[in-house]
Amino acid sequence: MEMSSNSRKTSRNPFHPQVYVPLALVVFLFILPILPRNPFYEDLILMIFFWGTLAAAWNLVGGFAGQISLGHTAFFGIGAYTSTLLWLKFGLSPWFGMFAGAGLAILVAIGIGVPCFRLRSHFFALATIAFGEVLRHVASYWRGLTQGGVGLLIPFKPEIGNFMFRSKIPYAYIALGLMLLIILVSYIIRNSRFGFYLISLREDQDAAETLGVNTSRCKLVALIISVFFTAVAGTFYAQYLLFIDPDTVFSLPLSIELALLTIIGGLGTVIGPVIGAFILIPLDVLLRGYLGGISAGLNFIVYGIVLVVAVIYFPRGIAGWLRSWYEPFLRRLPGSGQSGGGEGAFTSPALTSEASDPKDANPGVDEGKSPLFRVQSLSKRFGGLAAVRDISFEIKKGEILGLIGPNGAGKTTIFNLITGFFPPDSGRIEFKGEEITGLRPPHKVCIKYIGRTFQLVKPFSNMTVMENVMVGAFSRVRRASEAKEEAMRVLDFIGLSMYRDSLASSLTIADRKRLELGKALATKPELLLLDEVVAGLNPRETEEIIEIIKAISRQGITLFIIEHVMKAIMTLSHRIIVLHHGEKIAEGIPAEISRDRKVIDAYLGEEYLA
Amino acid sequence: MPIWGRSILLDLENISAHYGDVQALENVSLRIKEGQIVSIVGSNGAGKSTTLNTISGVIQSSSGTIEFLGKRIENLPPHRIVELGIVQIPEARLLFPYMTVLENLELGAFNPQARKGTGENLEAVFRLFPVLEDRKNQLAGTLSGGEQQMLAIARGLMARPKLLMLDEPSLGLAPLLVKQVFETVKEINAQGITVLLVEQNVFHSLSIADEAYVLENGRVVLGGQGKEILSNPQVKEAYLGI
Amino acid sequence: MSTAVLQLIINGLLLGGIYALISIGLTLIFGVVEIINFAHGEFLMLSMYASYWLFQLYGVDPYVSLFVVIPAFFAIGWAVQRIIIQPIIHAPPLNQIFATVGMSLVLQNAALFFWKADYRTVRTAYSTVSFSGLMISTPRLVAFVFALAIIAALLIFLKRTYTGKAIRALAQEKRAAMLMGIDIYRMYKIAFGIGIACVGAAGAILIPIYYAFPTVGAMFVLIAFVVVILGGYNSLVGALIGGLIIGMVEAFSGFFLSPHLKEAVYFVIFILILLLRPAGLFGRA
Repeated sequence: MEMSSNSRKTSRNPFHPQVYVPLALVVFLFILPILPRNPFYEDLILMIFFWGTLAAAWNLVGGFAGQISLGHTAFFGIGAYTSTLLWLKFGLSPWFGMFAGAGLAILVAIGIGVPCFRLRSHFFALATIAFGEVLRHVASYWRGLTQGGVGLLIPFKPEIGNFMFRSKIPYAYIALGLMLLIILVSYIIRNSRFGFYLISLREDQDAAETLGVNTSRCKLVALIISVFFTAVAGTFYAQYLLFIDPDTVFSLPLSIELALLTIIGGLGTVIGPVIGAFILIPLDVLLRGYLGGISAGLNFIVYGIVLVVAVIYFPRGIAGWLRSWYEPFLRRLPGSGQSGGGEGAFTSPALTSEASDPKDANPGVDEGKSPLFRVQSLSKRFGGLAAVRDISFEIKKGEILGLIGPNGAGKTTIFNLITGFFPPDSGRIEFKGEEITGLRPPHKVCIKYIGRTFQLVKPFSNMTVMENVMVGAFSRVRRASEAKEEAMRVLDFIGLSMYRDSLASSLTIADRKRLELGKALATKPELLLLDEVVAGLNPRETEEIIEIIKAISRQGITLFIIEHVMKAIMTLSHRIIVLHHGEKIAEGIPAEISRDRKVIDAYLGEEYLA
Repeated sequence: MPIWGRSILLDLENISAHYGDVQALENVSLRIKEGQIVSIVGSNGAGKSTTLNTISGVIQSSSGTIEFLGKRIENLPPHRIVELGIVQIPEARLLFPYMTVLENLELGAFNPQARKGTGENLEAVFRLFPVLEDRKNQLAGTLSGGEQQMLAIARGLMARPKLLMLDEPSLGLAPLLVKQVFETVKEINAQGITVLLVEQNVFHSLSIADEAYVLENGRVVLGGQGKEILSNPQVKEAYLGI
Repeated sequence: MSTAVLQLIINGLLLGGIYALISIGLTLIFGVVEIINFAHGEFLMLSMYASYWLFQLYGVDPYVSLFVVIPAFFAIGWAVQRIIIQPIIHAPPLNQIFATVGMSLVLQNAALFFWKADYRTVRTAYSTVSFSGLMISTPRLVAFVFALAIIAALLIFLKRTYTGKAIRALAQEKRAAMLMGIDIYRMYKIAFGIGIACVGAAGAILIPIYYAFPTVGAMFVLIAFVVVILGGYNSLVGALIGGLIIGMVEAFSGFFLSPHLKEAVYFVIFILILLLRPAGLFGRA
């Protein structure tokens, strides 16, 4: 609800509930370990913090970036074994060993992540399971180093420098510190460019790439941060229990438990994993207490059933439900004032004022010698089929070029060749005099100031309208506040500002089409490729979108438009090229095209006029 | 040919449907009489394929009724609808590419009624498309575009349809083959099979149609005899915007 | 060729047949239902226990128990598809992954709860035959023959019967299958049932040569994952050949490196395939 200036104000005011409620929670967490002095209770609190840390670390990859890793146990184990071995063999303090372990785990993660991130979701999960299991076997059989299945016992020498303490309290505070740190990191990520990028790539990787997101790098960075905390938690575990063995620190159920905590608590949210830990860990301890005595494994049966039921019936977790309750709660507390609402409902699109402007705002078509964009002899085959055959054309700065042709003529293929979804077999593409043939992946094309939309709109469904546009804006600015400003400007322009806090999934078709335009516009393109933006809209909606497209053109943005709705393309385009069976069969101004014999034949069937 | 004497085969009353995000139908009503060729024309995204998929049961209609031979079918699953004799030949053919021509045809006759007569059906489609007999042991994915379209039609015929629905059968075919496809459709109709045709090729599809409907934005904007509609300037406008 | 190498090839092939049988079920489920059954190994474990108890309690020979295990596991697979997979068939991957992962956790720990972590096996009267210097263990040979026979039966079923063809059609072009009048949800249940029946059969023929314990499935399923990736995700013949290759790899790496490093060797293969040939040896893009 709040605007950027608004939130900055509240963050300075200690008497605002948005500040004092979280602060009170943190203070509460700090006194939690020392409330009753009883070892069972202390152990429980410590385990909640410890599991909360691990789950929040897993959430960065599994929740934010949407890459389901079931091999996190491998990094946990590497952390535990590295610091322990360094301590046992070389007497290196676990405080340093912790970072050595994290470093090693990160190196391994990079080696694994690069090939595995190319896999589709199910296979990524599969590859990570396999990886974790292999490390468990290696640790079991490399007896010379790890003593195999017997495990490693750490002699108890309590001292701060040895990362060993007589009481559980210091451990509890270290775990709390780790947990608060990962919450803070998650919070910062969630509100930064990087976080927007992660969530956008989870929602739709192609759309994210098109808006300038380097998806492979983002996934890798998320993995590295996640692995760091996971490995550090591994060291903590070793120092707390003073015993590690492959079957516990490399166990697959550990990886699954991280996911379970996160899913129950709220996948992809900042505090969801911690909420999950607060609910499930006490439950787990109780289960172990009551059932574990009867037989080992029973608690995992319960866990497994909870997991299956949760993913079938409640995949959204508790945090989502909690949020709808938390915000109104804050508003009822003293000091909240009026933090939002009301204002902004009547934002009129900047476009109406501009549309009433005379044509002088239009820079017009630049008739200069060198075109802005040039395609020469572009060809692409898929299997035996020539999708695009020897296509050449130019687009001048400020021009609107239409691309039409019957279904399957190869129009979208041309867009995909230009925007880096696949490379052409032959031919040359130039933009602003620079060759960009085969430039891939798509985010590199976006950075060159070429934007595009998709025929089937690709909104980031679980992000708000504002956040959707901010993803595009981040391709030009770093700071969230700047991206927000730019997004506001774009939302005003496309007439969506009244929906800025709604989830993209709640928009109507027509508004999703506007949003699609808005995301692309936020990347500040000089050339914008529009793929059937008015398809499926009713005449009134079509008119509105056409007005927006005209306004975009008036801003000096060059447009290249695929459209099936002839009325739209005939009124918009300065020039039109016609594609049929992958070949260019006509090129000219709209009036010429609509009379062209070959075009009429291609569209309506030959002999139509006969 | 008088058409008013024939019984109604398929009757759509006020059908509305939502298909993924983009395409939708709004109160579409259309009627197909036994033995007719009925064409649906309209630009991309107008809802032509959605209409066929709603009839086939692939998309659940949100309101309205569909009657086939007097029986309500709008809530039946796709395989039950095929059993009743409504068969769709989908856009882009969707053959089983790693199966032979013969296997593709056999799968066309999957429903129990059709399966009984597989042998004679096979003879009949081979008479219609002799080239398929020559290639019966070839993988469907290795056929040429024209042959693939023939196979798609033949596979649909194997189901012994009472109503055959074709979605863009001329898509991506060279002009000569396009003509052939429409000849085939006429031939199939002459054998007594009712045809519902969705096409971009307005000229051909309207000139063979007994009746036709023009769809725009998921609504029927024009309906009447095929030849009448062909000469209606509104059609040309919808397509070429002039 | 020296006897030692020949012996290794034989050992590898005999092992590979069973791996192929486990993997082919996994591949069939993935190819048709488009989910990875992360609980696949647990069904192997369950069928090993099933054959074990049939032998212990009723004296049923493990090979005879196949006739009980195969239909029973087909029914189990059918039910799992109906109750657990069907509701999430259109859900995001996360839900699909954790539904079967959760199932695996439940089954593994249920086994631990009921039968403890003890290693159990069936000692049969079958012995090892010697054959011009080559040692061939009879139960392994029998297992291999059964495995190949079941795979052959499955391939013939898919190739020759109407239902088999419908399953293949569904894997190749789902929408067309639906439009041709195939009840795809029924085919999903049949495919899942067959996949589980295959792994069930593998358990029955494994019990005379290997131990049943609660986590035994996790070990074999890791191999099956590698086989599936090697064979190319959706090719049954690929799974067969992949299984035989992995069996050989295990035999040779065990001899020349160390039997303990076999998992590491699998994983190297796994990563190499992902890097060099992501579609697998027999996969289609």
